[in-house]
Amino acid sequence: MSKIDERSVWEKIADQLRSRSMWMLHYCTGCGAVELPPSMTSRFDMERLGMGPMATPRQADIFLITGYLSAKTLRRVIYTYEKMADPKYVIGFGSCTINGGIYYDSYSTINRLDYYIPVDLYIAGCMPRPEAILNAFNQLMEMIRKGEANGWKRYKENYEWYKQNQLRSLGEVIVHDEFHE
Amino acid sequence: MTSFTNNIQEFFERLKTLYNVELSEIDSKQFKIIAEPDKILPLLAYLKEIGYSHLSILTCVDWIEQKKFELVYILFNWSNGITFLVSTFIDRDKPVFYTVKDMWPTAEYYERDVHEFFGVEFEGNENCKKPMILELWNDLPPLRKDFDPLKYSKEHYPDREYEKDAIHEARIVRGDIRGDVNG
Amino acid sequence: MSMGEVKLFFGPNHPGMHGNFSVHMYVEGDVVVKARPVPGFLHRGFEKLMERRLWYQNVALIPRICVPEPDINEACYAMAVEKIAKVEVPERATWIRMLVLELARIANHLWSFGGIGGPIGMYTSMFWSVSDRDKVLDIFEELTGARIYHMYIIPGGVRKDLPTGLEEKISKLMDYLEQRMSEYETFILKNRILHTRLKGIAKIDTETCLKLGVTGIGLRATGIPYDIRKVDPYMFYDKVEFDVPTATEGDAYARISLKPQEIKQSIRIIRQILEKMPSGPVNIKISDGNGLRIRVPKGMAYAKVESTRGEYGYLVVSDGGETPYRVAVRGASYPQGLYGVEHLLPGTRIDDVPIWLDSMGVCAPEIDR
Repeated sequence: MSKIDERSVWEKIADQLRSRSMWMLHYCTGCGAVELPPSMTSRFDMERLGMGPMATPRQADIFLITGYLSAKTLRRVIYTYEKMADPKYVIGFGSCTINGGIYYDSYSTINRLDYYIPVDLYIAGCMPRPEAILNAFNQLMEMIRKGEANGWKRYKENYEWYKQNQLRSLGEVIVHDEFHE
Repeated sequence: MTSFTNNIQEFFERLKTLYNVELSEIDSKQFKIIAEPDKILPLLAYLKEIGYSHLSILTCVDWIEQKKFELVYILFNWSNGITFLVSTFIDRDKPVFYTVKDMWPTAEYYERDVHEFFGVEFEGNENCKKPMILELWNDLPPLRKDFDPLKYSKEHYPDREYEKDAIHEARIVRGDIRGDVNG
Repeated sequence: MSMGEVKLFFGPNHPGMHGNFSVHMYVEGDVVVKARPVPGFLHRGFEKLMERRLWYQNVALIPRICVPEPDINEACYAMAVEKIAKVEVPERATWIRMLVLELARIANHLWSFGGIGGPIGMYTSMFWSVSDRDKVLDIFEELTGARIYHMYIIPGGVRKDLPTGLEEKISKLMDYLEQRMSEYETFILKNRILHTRLKGIAKIDTETCLKLGVTGIGLRATGIPYDIRKVDPYMFYDKVEFDVPTATEGDAYARISLKPQEIKQSIRIIRQILEKMPSGPVNIKISDGNGLRIRVPKGMAYAKVESTRGEYGYLVVSDGGETPYRVAVRGASYPQGLYGVEHLLPGTRIDDVPIWLDSMGVCAPEIDR
């Protein structure tokens, strides 16, 4: 057992509680976001799992990367991820986050998400159905209870490595405004 | 329908004499007009005046072998449903053209788009060099034919390396399944 | 006391934002002084990727250009390729295409009801319309095998014939939706929240619409009955009867109130399609060549359809090869999403910005491509 997996009793209890109340950041990074309203609303009803959308990154627990990420969005994603408070969990949604998917040869989208921010869970498919999303959330809760979803600890531990990858692909991780002043 | 066809034939004759254009039919309601670069602005102004006032899109095609950029203005007439693809060829090595943003304000953004993806400059559009869709782009304009997106992607965005599946390859060698051994 | 100007980034991470789009603005108090649209977060370089894939392979790629309404992409692409190849599609295939497009129109109009529910804080409309939309998606699932990206319309026709029994399911759904639409009109369109938040907000007049090239509901809400299905009928839209609903106010409420009326017209069209659809083959080869490696003759063609947001078009250029030489996409929300944001938003309040984006149907993926 490495240091990262160690949890005190209090942390174990906290993880039990955390898994029952998860807030998902409301950021539609890609086309998978189109399946989120169906899973939030009456037919699939995500709220029965204790989950709901949350507007600000500072109060959110889950960051759902819904599909491909262009370099421009990745800058914002890294910003947002770093803004989120610990513990935070990332779900990579769709084939594009796993290996680039259909956009493997695109000059604008990244090919592999876990190179830039740690990913706890991937959902395969293009696009994953609401059932798959709910299944993934269940899986993530299970992982949190067992203490396996520790991407945020890995990000802290390997911060230099992640930063170096980010800089290599993006040049700079600074968000400018559009006024070009 | 016949009177309409007669009218359009007359209209084409007028366009040919006035603006020295080349005309071809794509289907019964869509026509392509090729004009010289210096005739384009008066031609577009004339077409806009007589009802072809809806600019659907302004875009560009890279004919790398002929060393030309083809600028295509798609005009639509709401009253008779006719579409014109007005096109002109400009030099690929010195891609400079005139803006049409005074005629169609939205063209400002189409021109920024074309500048970003092809590198065509539009004189009179002071915003056209500002980046719009791409951020911190430092390579050739990406829609040019000599730009290779796969190479760029491999250089900038590392790919996932999959472990070799020996059993899968053995099955291919044995002939059970079809596939690529090195892939 | 003047408060001074504050720079504000609206989106991309914002609950009121419609997709991954951003508007950077200077605000004074809560009034927008200067606004700039920031597109490009969803840029995937489709136009380049399509040049690298075979003619049929592109069918898998293009639905992803406009996420909420993918079928129009397939239809435009297929129609443009057929125009270049000068191929006539079998009659039944054309009717099925129309059926798919009208179902997609219903789905997307319902979706935009959900979209407007967010920024004005009336989640009832979102819960209602998204679950009704799911019923349309179930039809799509049975027809094509997928909920969102159908890849059903291909150059030369459609992939497969309708499964048995689908017609009855569609007509049952139409009965259900027709009855729902009157409920929508009473419960949602007469709701006070909607009236307070949408009446007189995000106004645009006819002249500006025509100058900018705004099409679709944005234009029709100012009183002009321009609809590509009527002006330049594609497929068999000249063989079915339908009206083009218009409003005169040109504000957000007028645009929203047109949507149930358009859905009713779509229901009317679908009923006629189900009646008139003949039997027969549903696809043909558009040129020779083995399997998927077809060649399309040299040429250039532009095909457009009336999407829920306006004119949606594809310019396809072929040099006679196995792949397209160039494909350019005219996103329906290009004028109102970029020029409209920059020039028409200053003077409005911050909370009217998402109403503009939603009610004009600004769809970020089709602007970014």
